Amino acid sequence: MSEQAAGPTARRVQATWRVNGESVTVAFRPHRTLLEVLREDLGLTGTKHGCELGECGTCTVLLDGEPVLSCLVLGLECEGREIRTVEGLAGPEGPSDLQRAFAELGAAQCGYCTPGFLLVAEHVLAREPRPTRAQLVEELSGNLCRCTGYLKIYEAVERAAQRRAEGAAAEGRHGG
Amino acid sequence: MKAFRFLRPRTLAEASEALRREPGAVPKAGGVDLLDRWKERVEEPEVVVGLCDVTDGAALRLEEDGALVLGALATLADLAGSDLVRRFLPALARAADQAASPQIRHRATLGGNLAQATRCGYWRLRSFPCLLRGASRCPVREPGGVQETAGIFANDPCASAHPSSVAPVLGALGAEILVGGGPEGGRGLAFEALWRAPEPGRSDVLALEPGELIRAVRIPPSAHPVRVGHAEVRQRAAFDWPLVTAAVGLTLDADRIREARVWLGSVAPTPHRARAAEAALTGRRLAEVRATFDGRAAAEGATPLPGTAYKAGLVAVAARRALADALERS
Ligand SMILES: Cc1cc2nc3c(=O)[nH]c(=O)nc-3n(C[C@H](O)[C@H](O)[C@H](O)COP(=O)(O)OP(=O)(O)OC[C@H]3O[C@@H](n4cnc5c(N)ncnc54)[C@H](O)[C@@H]3O)c2cc1C
Ligand code: FES
Ligand code: FES
Repeated sequence: MSEQAAGPTARRVQATWRVNGESVTVAFRPHRTLLEVLREDLGLTGTKHGCELGECGTCTVLLDGEPVLSCLVLGLECEGREIRTVEGLAGPEGPSDLQRAFAELGAAQCGYCTPGFLLVAEHVLAREPRPTRAQLVEELSGNLCRCTGYLKIYEAVERAAQRRAEGAAAEGRHGG
Repeated sequence: MKAFRFLRPRTLAEASEALRREPGAVPKAGGVDLLDRWKERVEEPEVVVGLCDVTDGAALRLEEDGALVLGALATLADLAGSDLVRRFLPALARAADQAASPQIRHRATLGGNLAQATRCGYWRLRSFPCLLRGASRCPVREPGGVQETAGIFANDPCASAHPSSVAPVLGALGAEILVGGGPEGGRGLAFEALWRAPEPGRSDVLALEPGELIRAVRIPPSAHPVRVGHAEVRQRAAFDWPLVTAAVGLTLDADRIREARVWLGSVAPTPHRARAAEAALTGRRLAEVRATFDGRAAAEGATPLPGTAYKAGLVAVAARRALADALERS
């Protein structure tokens, strides 16, 4: 059994995580949440700080591929694990297909909820390339949005799903 | 959040050992409930026993005798997604799948769900008085107290409500709790024996000995066909706390009910067994209860406060729907 002291006066602990595909060594105070370490120690402020109580979903990140609320995970529990944040979605060619669809359809208004929605949507499409509307509503039910009324968010995810399907079909035709 | 030491056992036995060695230490599973409590500084443990590295607590198994054993560290998403649970305990898979939100279900464990604290707003905010945290009276019960989500059974002196929507289904399935790591070693508890009645000055809800942890929930095999249904009444369809949960388990002899188990959630400080409703169902034919059961027996013995009078009606509705759910599905 290992032991770590935690608290405001406690020394920082060092941990190595994989964040957006890169190995990162980070020192943080041991009672900090994953949300706090991402934003304050790693400067990854794309993950938003909302209710901090599990009730809004804006702090969602993917932990080993699964969507979790980073406000309810201790940094201490992330050693050696794979974390994906909104900063990891865009590629060398710019925003991801999901991000583009959100922008095109106005699925982000104030944008505060958007990082959380994008990560859950990424997870949904990885498992179910063509989700039904009912599936999307259920899968995205842990994320609150006070601006859009949700409709444009569902449409944006569906547009990205459709483009991925068309892209895959085109690749198939060209023997890719 | 305040300072704590964080211990990381690798097995449930090691976790119990750490809890026995460090009086006041708190076991932490998914942390969905605990992190809220620590952030609000309602509780400030010195020592936390993290179960994140424990490898022997999450299995879902079918035993040779036909019992299903569900590890306490399995998450609600594990239960909802398990082929075994979906096949043999579909009502449980559905209840797990309806709880909270997808993100929460990936972290929230079965053990933590049963052991979770009340959502009572007075208990959860440090600046409010609460009988369980040392005040002389329960402010919910006072004139002007916020009562809407309070308990309507066994609500004196504390009107808190146990919020699990999974527990009633386990009760209806005739589950027992396997605990371990205490002075008596491993032991099985009847489902209702897991919880304590609230006592002034005590916030813990489980009737466990020092060092004991919930290790698993066991659903015993039945020689007779069993039907289980459940129903929740919520204000929002998803990502909301149920106002009332009801679950009905029927053990059948052809078309007659040999045994009925009726459990309610969010209505009492612990999951609540509705014995009068069980008596109203036991011995009856299915066709008869389908036509006549109005659910009101499930509210028998309720002592609602002025702000929770509506809940007795909701209990009847939920019990009726849970019965219909049980009859509709096999
Ligand atoms: C927004 C929101 C909505 C929710 N909606 C629902 C809902 O609809 N239905 C529902 O049922 N729940 C709901 N929940 C509650 C959630 O399911 C519980 O908080 C969760 O299951 C707790 O599990 P955990 O593993 O995170 O426990 P933790 O937070 O780690 O622990 C909770 C308590 O259990 C104790 N504990 C944990 N594991 C064990 C063990 N093995 N043995 C003994 N004690 C143990 C801890 O010491 C602590 O006291 C909701 C929560 C939130 C935040
Ligand atoms: S900030 Fe984590 S759920 Fe709201
Ligand atoms: S765009 Fe403003 S909260 Fe969703």
